[in-house]
Parts: sequence; C-alpha cells; structure tokens
Amino acid sequence: MKFSAVVLILACSAATIAQPVAVTTSDLPERPEQLVYDELDFTVPDGNGFRHVLSNGVAVYIAEDHTFPLVSLRMTLRQGSYLEPADKVGLASLTGRMMRTGGTQSMTPETFDEETAFLAANISSSGGNAQASASLGCITPQLDACLGLFFEMLRTPRFDESRLQIEKGNILESMRQRNDDAGDILGREWDFLLRGEDHYSSRRMTEANLNAISRADLADFHEKYWRPENMVIAVSGDVDTNAFLAKLEENLADWPGEGADAKWPPPQPTHTVKPGVYSVEKDIPQGKVLIGHLVPQWTDWDNPDRAALQVMQHILGGSGFTSRIMKRVRSDEGLAYSAGSRFSFDALEPGTFTLSFQSKSPTVALAAKIAIEEVTRIQTEPVTPEELGVAKSALVETFPRRWESARQRASIFATDAYLGRSHSYWQNWRPQIEAVTANDVLRVAKKYLSPEEIVFLVVGKWDEIAPGDADDRANMMEFFGGEVTHIPLRDPLTLK
Amino acid sequence: MTYRSLPATLGVVLTLVAPSAAQDITQVPVETFELSNGMNFLVVQRPELTTVSAGWVAHVGSANERPGITGISHFFEHMMFKGSETIGTTNIAEDTRIIEEQEKLQEQIREIYRTQRERYRLGEIEDAFSDDDRPPELIELQARFTELVEQQRQLMVKDEFDKIYTESGASGMNAFTNNDITVYFITVPANKLELWFWMESERLLRPVFREFYSERDVVHEERRLRTESTPTGEFDELFEAMFWESHPYSWPVVGWPSDLEVYTLAQAKEYFATYYAPGNLTVALVGNLDLEEAKDLAERYFGRIPPAGSAPPDVVTLEMPQAAEKRMAASCDCQPQIELRYHTVPFRHRDSYALDVLSGLLNGRSGRLYKSLVLEQEIASDAGSFQDSRKWSGSFSLSAETKGDATPADLERALEEQLRRIREEPIPDRELQKVKNQITASSYQRLASGFFLLLQLLIYDGMGDWEYINEWAANTLNVTAADVQRVATAYFEPTNRAVATYSRTEGAAPTVIPSELEGLPSEVQRQIMGQLDQIRAVDDVNTLKGMLGQLPAQREAAPPPFQKAFPLIERTIEERITQLEEGGDA
Repeated sequence: MKFSAVVLILACSAATIAQPVAVTTSDLPERPEQLVYDELDFTVPDGNGFRHVLSNGVAVYIAEDHTFPLVSLRMTLRQGSYLEPADKVGLASLTGRMMRTGGTQSMTPETFDEETAFLAANISSSGGNAQASASLGCITPQLDACLGLFFEMLRTPRFDESRLQIEKGNILESMRQRNDDAGDILGREWDFLLRGEDHYSSRRMTEANLNAISRADLADFHEKYWRPENMVIAVSGDVDTNAFLAKLEENLADWPGEGADAKWPPPQPTHTVKPGVYSVEKDIPQGKVLIGHLVPQWTDWDNPDRAALQVMQHILGGSGFTSRIMKRVRSDEGLAYSAGSRFSFDALEPGTFTLSFQSKSPTVALAAKIAIEEVTRIQTEPVTPEELGVAKSALVETFPRRWESARQRASIFATDAYLGRSHSYWQNWRPQIEAVTANDVLRVAKKYLSPEEIVFLVVGKWDEIAPGDADDRANMMEFFGGEVTHIPLRDPLTLK
Repeated sequence: MTYRSLPATLGVVLTLVAPSAAQDITQVPVETFELSNGMNFLVVQRPELTTVSAGWVAHVGSANERPGITGISHFFEHMMFKGSETIGTTNIAEDTRIIEEQEKLQEQIREIYRTQRERYRLGEIEDAFSDDDRPPELIELQARFTELVEQQRQLMVKDEFDKIYTESGASGMNAFTNNDITVYFITVPANKLELWFWMESERLLRPVFREFYSERDVVHEERRLRTESTPTGEFDELFEAMFWESHPYSWPVVGWPSDLEVYTLAQAKEYFATYYAPGNLTVALVGNLDLEEAKDLAERYFGRIPPAGSAPPDVVTLEMPQAAEKRMAASCDCQPQIELRYHTVPFRHRDSYALDVLSGLLNGRSGRLYKSLVLEQEIASDAGSFQDSRKWSGSFSLSAETKGDATPADLERALEEQLRRIREEPIPDRELQKVKNQITASSYQRLASGFFLLLQLLIYDGMGDWEYINEWAANTLNVTAADVQRVATAYFEPTNRAVATYSRTEGAAPTVIPSELEGLPSEVQRQIMGQLDQIRAVDDVNTLKGMLGQLPAQREAAPPPFQKAFPLIERTIEERITQLEEGGDA
C-alpha cells in the first residue's frame, strides 16, 4: 500500500509539471519500441489446397468466403498482342473490348448491357500484351443468371458490326488525346526507348491499324486464342466449391482444347537500348522524368537474389518516406512531390530498373543527380544494420496482408499457374527475406544496377530544364556531357 | 459475422423484382463510444482479418479557411507527419531553439515579401516571389536560414514517424484533405493496435511542425503536378472558383500560391488548437480487434489530450442564389468537351437521394447519356453525370466529350434534351428498378474491404453523420419516379448553372513531317524535328541570330543525312526571329 501511494504521488507531481492541463496516465511507455505485442498467428496458405482441374484441363482456384452474398470470378489467358499481325496492332485489345460490348449470339449489345445492369453484375473482358482476362462480379442470389451472361459472352460473342464502328470511332478520339497529358507522352517514349517501337509490349495502335481491323479479324482472334487450353480461373466469395465446379463443368466441359497454338512464351525484344539523355518538349512547369535500364528476365523464382533485390529496392526507393531517394529528394530538398525507384521482376521479358520523379524545370537536374547518387551509393557502401532491419521487418510483417481476402488468395495462386511458378514460392518467401545480409544487398546492387548505362527521359520545357537551378547545384551538362536527343512530339494517329 | 439478419433478408431484398422496403437493407454493425474530452470512436469488428485499418477525421477542410491562409488545411495534413517532441529528433530542447530562430528569420523574410508585393503592384517586378527578382538582403536571409536547416538536420531523425510504422509492418499510411475534411489512415497488423494508439495520440498531444518551410516547396510541387501540368487542371480550378460565388468552396484545396508563401508557424499552431482539439475529431477502427480493449486503449492514450475551451467556428457564409448563367470558354491540349454544373443540395439533404437516383438513370453503359449521345447520336465518345453533395452545399454535373465533327454546343443541346425527357416523360418502372438493384448490390459490395469501409465511415462522419452508411441505401430505395421528376425540375434551370466548354488549342497537334525531310531515316527525322521544336521555343532574338551565324560551319561538319535538313533549319530560325521581332509569341 505504501508503495502504491508513493508511485501515485510521483506520477501526479510529474504530470503537473509537464502537462498542467492533461489528465495523467503515466504508465504509458515513453517510446513505441517499448511496447510488447502478442504473436500474430499466420500460416501461409498452400495453393494446392485451392486447386481443382476441370475435365477439359482448365485449372480452377476456389477460395470460399461466406461473409457477404458476393461472388467474384476472374479468368486469365496465356495469349495477347504478341499474336497479332504487324499491320493489325491493337487486334488483341479490340477483341477483348468487343467481346464485352458487341453483344452475343442471342443478345444484341443493348440487350446484353441492359440485362447485366439489371442484375447489378459487373462483367468485363480485356486483351493485354501477354494476358487476356475476363471477370464477373455478382450477388449470390443472381449467380446462375450472371454466369449465363458471362459464358455466353465468353463463348459466342457477336462482335456486332454497327457497335464495332462506334467503338472504333471512340478509340480514334482517344488516340487524338495521346499528346495531351505529359505522363502519357513519357510512358510511350519510355517504352519505345527501352524495347523499340515494334516489340509487342511497346508498340501502339495507329489509325491505319484501326482501319485495317475488321469484324472477321476479331471473330478469328477469338476463335483461335480465347480457348480453354490457355486458361486459368480464380473464384472467390459466397460459393460452395463442389457445386461451383459442377457449374463450371456444365459451361466449359464441351469446349475442348483444340485452338491455334498460342506460342507461349511471347517473343523477346531485339531492340538495342542506347543510353543517353532524351527530351520531349511540352509546355508544363515541371519536368517529368524516368531514368533507368533493362534488367534480366526473371524465370528462376527460387533464386535468392529476388529477396536481396526486394530489400535493396525497399531501402533505395520503394518504401515511401523510409526510402533514401524519397528522403533526400522530397523530404530534405522539397524538390518533388513523389520520387522513388522500382525494380520489376518480369517473367516473360527483361524487366526494368527505374527512377521516377517530377520536379519544377530548374531542379530536374538536381533531383536526378541526387537520385543517381543514391544508386551509386547503394552499389558501393553496405546498407546500415538499421536500414536492413527496417526493410526486412517491413517486408516480413506486411506479408500476411497479401492473403487477407479470399479474392487475394485465389488470385495469387491463379497468377502462379499463369506464370508457371510453383506455389512453394510463397512458402520460401519470408525465410529468403529473413536471410538477406548487407553484403547480399551490396552484391545484387552491383550485379543488377548500371547507373552508367541509363536512359534518361524528360518531358517538359528543355530551355528551362537544361540550365539547372538558381544556386548552380546541378544542370543537365552533368549527364552524358550535356548531349541530348530531342524527340519531337509524334503525330498521335500515325505515331511518326 | 454480425451483419444484422443478413441471410434472412436476402430472399426479400435480392429478388430484384419488387421495390424493396427500407428496413430490409443490410446494416453495418458499428459500435460507438465517446471520451470525456469529446473525442468520438467508431468500431467495426472483423475477426476474419489479420489487420486493423485505423484512422481519424478532423472536421476541417479548405472551407474553414479565409483569404490569406488558403491551403493551410492541406498544408497541415503534410505537417502532421513531421513528428513530435519524442519522435523525429535526438534533442528536443535544441530542436525547439532552432525552430524559434528559423521563425525569426522567416518573419524578416515575410517583411521583405511585403515590400516585394508592393514592387509587384507598382509594376517594378514581374513576380513577387521569383528567384530572379530577389533583393540581396533576401538572398542573405535565405542563406542564413539554410544554415539553420542544416543545424537542425544534425539533430533530426528523418521521417522517423514513417519509419516506426514501416518497421512494424504497418502499411498504406497516408492522408487526404478536401473542402470539408482531413482524413488520416493506415493499416496495422492486428497484434500491434497499441502502436497505433501510441503514435496517433503522440502526434496529437505533442506535435512539432518541423521542416515547415521545405514542406512548402513539396506542396508547390504537388500543385504543379496536379493543377499546372495536367491538360485541364488550371481550368478545373478556375471553373470551381467561378461556380461558387460567396461560398468558401471557391478557392482550391491546395491553396493560392501567394498564400502558400507566407503562412506562419503561429498561424499553423492556432489552426491546430482550433480544429484538432479532440471534440473535433472522430476515430474509426475496422478489423480484428476487441471492443473492450479498444475502449481501454482509447481512454489511456487519447484520454490524455485536453479538451478545447470552445467548439470551432461554423462556416456561416451561404452560397448566394445565382442570378444569371455563368460561362467559361477554355482552350487546352484536350478533347473538346462540355460540363453543365448546377447548384443543388448538401450532404443528407432530403433531395440528395432523388438526385442520386437521377444520376443512376443517366450513368453507365445502359444509362441514358451513354445510350443517347454515344450510341444513338454518335456525337460523344463519353458522357456522364456527377452528383456531388458536399458538407455545406452541393452541385450536379452533366458532361461529355465530343466525337468526330460534333461541337460542345451539340453536346449541350443533347444533354439538356435528356433532362427535359426526365422531367416530361414517364420513367419506366423497369429502368427505375435497375438503378435500385444496383443500389442494393452496392450496399453489400462497399462492405467487402475493411479499409474501404473505414474510409466511408470517416468521410461520412466528417461530412456530418456516419449513420449515412446505414441510411443511404434505404432512403434511396424509397425514391419514386415522381421524386426524380421533381428534383429534375427544381434544380436544372439555366440561371442556376455554370457551363464550361473546352476546345482543342490550335497547333497543339504535332506538325506533319516537312517535305524536306522525306526519305530520311525516321530517327534522323525525329532528331531534326526535335531541334526545330527547340528553335521555336527560343525567346531571345540574339540567341537565334547567333545560331544562324553558326549554321554554315555546322553544315560542313554534319553527317550526310543531316545536310539535306539545313535549309529547313535556317528557315525555321528566320521565321522565329520574324515572329519575335513582330512581338507575337505563339
């Protein structure tokens, strides 16, 4: 009793001095590091437990969740724009778009839209570079009707001619806007500089391509490549696994895999990247910047360099305010609203290492100089034990969040199947991160980053960017001896 | 799960045939409590998650500002990440001393800006804040200030607030500010809820607004990014300023740049004391947590914050009834387009639900605007409407982008025709039911993500009442066709609107390849075209004349494919010189 009384008096007097107004609860820790937590119970789910195979060979991942009367289905296909003829760039994407908007065998486009909206269903389909997808979101009581619409779209799209003409007109209008936003120009020229103008992953549809694509081309592309043998399906939500598998069988089993060979994987780019500074003129008060280079294609998912690179990327520029580039460019210098780096692990073609930021014209060179200095530094000095600890802890502790919803679980395992990656990748993920050392980070930074061979692309007003900042801390002469290639704005319809 | 009587209601609500009774819609089970200092808490338990999404809303936004401090609410949001007396520095005493020194210098700098503004008013300088027109004493003061920043940096633990959260496995830390509210949020592992209480109460109890002035530069960059470097950003800002007559919604959330230059630390502290007192804040927690534990933590951590003496001031200025139609004609690097924006009603106004249904009838692939303007008439590539009921007042917009030869005037007529048809022709039952089916489905869809649910609770609470989340679907399902026709009549008079039309800036499209360059490799063409663009951007005649003088020598040295282009380059320089000498800058 005595002891308690003393504590109470001390606590009161201390509080009176420090915080005359506040109520006191002085048992709180002074620093957050002193807090003690319970263990978080989390086991990585095993993908094989979610996997099923239909009689025609289609893999299906199902994650049940009966919290809400909602069902979500997404199918992913191994096909894409790499299969288009060179004079019909955009065919894969237009096929995906017209499947959803062009009606079906039994329904005009108007009827299909009307029925979908009345059921409050979300149905979509799209064609990408190396992936096509179709998805359905539906409330449980309407599931059968929703699936009916979805599979009719998938299997018997009408590609209605008059709707095609309207969609083509709308696409033409969006092409006209290609030079309006500086960010769009930046993204397009970046792809061209790194992968060439003709590679499937960088090329863009022109007006001539659009005009060359007919209804028959869409029907043909659909017939050849929207096929069960290219397909993996992820399902989540308020379903019973066995009953849903039966529904899928009903709708897909009579669709045997006998389409054209989708030639997987897609072809590699053959373009030779030319390091240097490139600029595109645009009348805006900022320079928008991408700096970087290609990195090797990522096919070996057991390679522990993956973990070391993720830790490196976290420390260098991938973790917001905690990363070095954001700290220096934004927080210390106030040069940009956002600044960071990205290392992409691409399974189908070389990935990219990229620095990105936007800064007022005179400080573009300074921000670039600082960001590149940080790249060089991470290649020459080991990261500090504290930085290493923060990055590893952040990656490991946020890992359970990737599996939070049923939709995420089904989707992650379906992506594994699409990429041809083993589900065991996820079992090894955290142990590999935990094993990363400062030396590993240094080693992979040296091995994978090449700051001397960068492409430096800026969209903005070159005359205001080149001279650099008022305090003469940096100007564009610092990069490649001041040599610059000015890329003219392309005609938005021909891209010449 | 405790979602009230969900399975039982499904058969009724989701048959999608008959209009549903209001009481059948799913309710979010929100537990609430209040601390003695006036701080409110909203809790939704989701035991199936491994996280807690946590956040709080300050009932303050740009509408609470006044001329001279526009943008301070948003600026404040940035300052709240700079740490506290404990977080962000190794020596709070020295840190405080340096901040006071910095403030003294900034006071002198602001005095110089007072003179600079006067010089600007007299026409002596072109820009009160330009680096080029700085008097020597300003340069000197800024240099001394930079030294103080360096001194302070020696003591700082950079972005420690972010680092502590990151290291602990928290993610998605961010905040946003709009006209009405400021919202802070993050997701933490479920076992680290106490960390959230520690950190958030810390920054409310003992905030330190360090790096005040370098953060100002970041906000300038944010403004350049969002407003000045996007195709329509400046015009969006102008249209908003024009639409609101007397209401403080007229200034931008990011603030006018001239105000941003002169905020003082004292103003920031006063703002904090007024609007960040516990009675003006509401916390929401959604995730795997125990209600009793949350109450205990709330009491221990946030209970330490003293209540304010009085409630913050109300926004008293009402929007004046508009006396005449307003019009803005803008030209930009953008698709020709139009927006018709009408004054309507604020959040939770009884007519807001009928306006939501009106918007539902107009929007979507099977909505009236898309069907008529895009599919039937083929005069638009896109069309839609936006029902925007904010805390203090509201608006309803119709907008469309042109297709082919259609003009914004064609779109205006077509949009007005759709409003006329709503007013004058019966609305089919099935069409109304379609909109209501979507409302019913969305009453479930919006609950699926814990984080999204958190945001909705904070936004609705900030706007006036979080219970809107449980009232919205029911009230909207009760709307009749007659209600929709009534609001379509009441609010859509031309005198009650502002109209923005956009045309594409002439010459914004790139020029075709000149005949002189035909036959050259496309890479060479592009390089030369780029040089021509550079020439056309030069503003100084002497520079151009210098270039002209060097041309013959350069031609000698140029590789053969470039030779052919020199007459074109020469002509372009000469044209630019003529243009400048005639005083017209394209």
